[in-house]
Amino acid sequence: MPGLPLVARETTNPGCNCSHSRPVDQMCRQDSRVHLSAEEAIAAEESLSIYCKPVELYNILQRRALRNPSFLQRCLHYKIQAKRKRRIQMTVSLSGAVNDGVQAHNLLPLYIILARPISDIAAAGNSAVFCLARTCLIVASSEFEGRSQTEANFVLPEIHRLSANEKASILTVLLVSCGEANNSLPGSAMAKDHLDMTSFSSSIKGPCLWGKIPLESLYSSWLKCMNLNMGQRAEMLSAVDMHSGFVEPSCLDEGSCISFKVPQNSGTMSSLRQVQVNISAQEVGAKERSPYSSYMCSDVPGSSLSHLIRLRSGNVIFNYRYYNNMLQKTEVTEDFSCPFCLVQCASFKGLRYHLCSSHDLFNFEFWVTEEYQAVNVFVKTDIWRSEIVADGIDPRLQTFFFCSKPRKRKRSKSLAQNAKHVHPQVVKLDLPEVMGEGLCGGHVEKNAGTSSTVPVKVNPTTAEPSNQISHQKAKNDAHTIKGGEKTPKILSENGFQNESHKAESNGFGDPCTAEYAERVASSPNVTGVSTATAQSSAGLECLQPISGSNLAPPAMLQFAKMRKLSAERSDPRNRTLLQKRQFFHSHRAQPMALEQVLSDRDSEDEVDDDIADFEDRRMLDDFVDVTKDEKQIMHLWNSFVRKQRVLADGHIPWACEAFSRLHGRDLVRAPNLIWCWRLFMIKLWNHSLLDARTMNNCNIVLERYQSEGPDPKQS
Amino acid sequence: MAKTAIGCEPTVGSLAPSKKREYKVTNRIQEGKRPLYAVAFNFIDARYYNVFATVGGNRVTVYQCLEGGVIAALQSYVDEDKDESFYTLSWACNIDGTPFLVAGGINGIIRVIDAGSEKIYKSFVGHGDSINEIRTQALKPSLVVSASKDESVRLWNVHTGICILIFAGAGGHRNEVLSVDFHPSDIYRIASCGMDNTVKIWSMKEFWTYVEKSFTWTDLPSKFPTKYVQFPVFIASVHSNYVDCNRWLGDFILSKSVDNEIVLWEPKTKEQTPGEGAIDILQKYPVPECDIWFIKFSCDFHYNAAAIGNREGKIFVWELQSSPPVLIARLSHVQCKSPIRQTAMSFDGSTILCCCEDGTIWRWDAVGAS
Repeated sequence: MPGLPLVARETTNPGCNCSHSRPVDQMCRQDSRVHLSAEEAIAAEESLSIYCKPVELYNILQRRALRNPSFLQRCLHYKIQAKRKRRIQMTVSLSGAVNDGVQAHNLLPLYIILARPISDIAAAGNSAVFCLARTCLIVASSEFEGRSQTEANFVLPEIHRLSANEKASILTVLLVSCGEANNSLPGSAMAKDHLDMTSFSSSIKGPCLWGKIPLESLYSSWLKCMNLNMGQRAEMLSAVDMHSGFVEPSCLDEGSCISFKVPQNSGTMSSLRQVQVNISAQEVGAKERSPYSSYMCSDVPGSSLSHLIRLRSGNVIFNYRYYNNMLQKTEVTEDFSCPFCLVQCASFKGLRYHLCSSHDLFNFEFWVTEEYQAVNVFVKTDIWRSEIVADGIDPRLQTFFFCSKPRKRKRSKSLAQNAKHVHPQVVKLDLPEVMGEGLCGGHVEKNAGTSSTVPVKVNPTTAEPSNQISHQKAKNDAHTIKGGEKTPKILSENGFQNESHKAESNGFGDPCTAEYAERVASSPNVTGVSTATAQSSAGLECLQPISGSNLAPPAMLQFAKMRKLSAERSDPRNRTLLQKRQFFHSHRAQPMALEQVLSDRDSEDEVDDDIADFEDRRMLDDFVDVTKDEKQIMHLWNSFVRKQRVLADGHIPWACEAFSRLHGRDLVRAPNLIWCWRLFMIKLWNHSLLDARTMNNCNIVLERYQSEGPDPKQS
Repeated sequence: MAKTAIGCEPTVGSLAPSKKREYKVTNRIQEGKRPLYAVAFNFIDARYYNVFATVGGNRVTVYQCLEGGVIAALQSYVDEDKDESFYTLSWACNIDGTPFLVAGGINGIIRVIDAGSEKIYKSFVGHGDSINEIRTQALKPSLVVSASKDESVRLWNVHTGICILIFAGAGGHRNEVLSVDFHPSDIYRIASCGMDNTVKIWSMKEFWTYVEKSFTWTDLPSKFPTKYVQFPVFIASVHSNYVDCNRWLGDFILSKSVDNEIVLWEPKTKEQTPGEGAIDILQKYPVPECDIWFIKFSCDFHYNAAAIGNREGKIFVWELQSSPPVLIARLSHVQCKSPIRQTAMSFDGSTILCCCEDGTIWRWDAVGAS
């Protein structure tokens, strides 16, 4: 696992940890007094091995994620980056006193310009040309439109980058004072902190006082100051010589430039004025860093290291509990990074969400105190997890949960169809969107994970030995080209191991092979992968030998196997079972011929229409207060309803229309019957079972039959 | 029990023997140790009127009544299953006239024995429990009807082996069906009775097409569209106890329960309201010591007389069609002590056979008749 291996301590060894203050004691509360015998130690080791498989799974997932990061992480990464980006905020302001009597405010308004010298003064004959980068205006408070702007702010890149970057290093801070001439500046330009370069450079003209501070000198002083790194403010006063000269815009193709013309008598004028400038700098991105964070491990004696580490704000302590929570192994990660997939989170809260959503093979306990953040990790001992299969258990025999939207599984007979049915899901689950943590439930992701591991883990019974080799190769830095060559072979072997099921295995075996080959090919390029896994294996070293072997076979495959079973193998078996014994008809209790037994017909809930009609007629015959026509309609309706399975109230409108169509021709021939039928519809309408519109439709149907004449289609 | 209006009381026969006919024992056969439950003359085929068969245990035996009280054993069939206990038999015949013996019992399997070729012709499976009575439609002797403990009555075509109809369901018997009989002239009608104390009259008029279809059915018998007849046309509660035997006497019904009497009654079905109706009890034929169930009576071919045994081994021969009923004879023998389950009257009633629980067959011949 990544991060700094703190102390692979067992709680029997109080060591450095428990000599600290109370919260620390709380953290490792299981400490103390667990003395293990030799057997217990072995048992403890074994119990630690439950971490192997989940960790390995997450390693696989992480390797995938390197190439194909999960959606949310990918989308939100910029936030973390922005937060971490170091930059220097430089503030320039005039300090009160100027040495020989010139009041500072006399210089106001003063332009503070970040500019790059284009030509040196000496070279270009008494003129200096600067390309403007950023400009700020300092005016005295209350002097200009109520805006008080007494200092100029510039954001500079991080100090190391500044010093490394040549272009940046020659930057110069210019101070330009044009006296009252600036009134001509457009107000709009003034309103901003940073003036619009083009308008500024074009508008500024005339005699001025100007001075410059090379940024390089500032850097060097900042670099000396250790505090800047720690996020503290570095203040310095520097005196700037103000020269008099003429400023005028000069247009070069490099952007807006200004040039200063130094008058002939500059030598006399040069030392005339000096301005005290207060420059303070602060590293912005490092604000939340604690003073300890910059210490490297080597700087600090080992005993206090752990203590310091704990105090860094981004450091999270992970306690891996095992052996019935009696023991724990501890490691620390930096920058709120996840120990399993190395993802850096922005905060402890983020880490918390990440862990819960992405690594739900574990249970987590989160501890936050003033001094540290800790996570206690337990392996979920959920036996129904299909991902974790105990050794020596054939995973194919395990209960299998297919977590997906409930879709109707049709018992299709053709294998090709089966394969088709399975295949798209494999593909679908591979989509990165599905991988998105937080977006989808843990199980989906896990499914995705397992399905992604399809090629590696196919059928452990046959693929195990070579699989392990390839897997460990992947772990070693030697990389997986060899293993990569190997695994697809294994897979294809696997795919064809049952010759009779060729069609099926082909159906979805091939895309997986291709997919995996692709992945393997890409993995050597990503060095991070192997190191990460190597690191992680260091964390749980004792477990290494058995890891890499039998993760559960992918859900999809298992599913396919089951289908195969029922479709092929079990069918003849069932057939013989069916042949072996006598079956009887469910209604007649008559022995059935095999042909009947195997036929699709199921008579179980069959209704004998003839008999039902007969019984219905007989029942209606019992009524004494009903006319013959009414009985006839009742009978027609009853048999219609039975045959069409009109069951719910909502079926009635349809039934009425259909009945009118079906019997309309007969009804119009017998006016008594048609009136009985209409009355019946009205009854239905009374009971709100039939709407008026439908009743109207029915009558239209009947009328059409009537208008067609008694025997329209007779001929 | 139906109430009868004043002046309409049933006439009860006198137990004083009229001595119209005298019978004497002419033969006695000990067939085995197991009780014999049924004995029947073959009325189906005029050539074999003197042939009768008995069932008991897993055995079906065919005899011939010869002159002078001689009984000749002709055939004996033993079911493979030792636990089979046949309760009933009936003569039938194939459409080509081959005599069939149809027997059923505790196993619920109806065995159709071709007595001509001495082979089992067919076995009908379908009943869910033991079979209590099998009767043959005299007008169409390939049709047999069976009454079963599974509360159903089934109509079979012995020729094609088809179960044509099942008389059971919503209106059917609510307990074992003990007896069933075809109407002698109305081919559609049957009467059944059983442990639910009722007699039910069924009509298969509406289903007759299926009966006809059964004769021409060539496909698998199991594919035949067997129909359920759920509602009888008439339900009569004549008795207040198990009704273990019923026979049509014209449109009247003779039925007996365990009340020491056979009752002749008329089912008065109303055309308008099937299922309901009144009964009119016409006559009663007392049979002393006949208070155990599963004692069946038999009649001669013309239903002139009926013979019934009792618990003590005595036989009462009643003239059926006289009013008041006349007891023709009361037959008893000192050695005949065990309950007589069934009797058989020969075509003209001159010979009476009885089968006893102790496994004996007694032959009584009318004195001076032959």
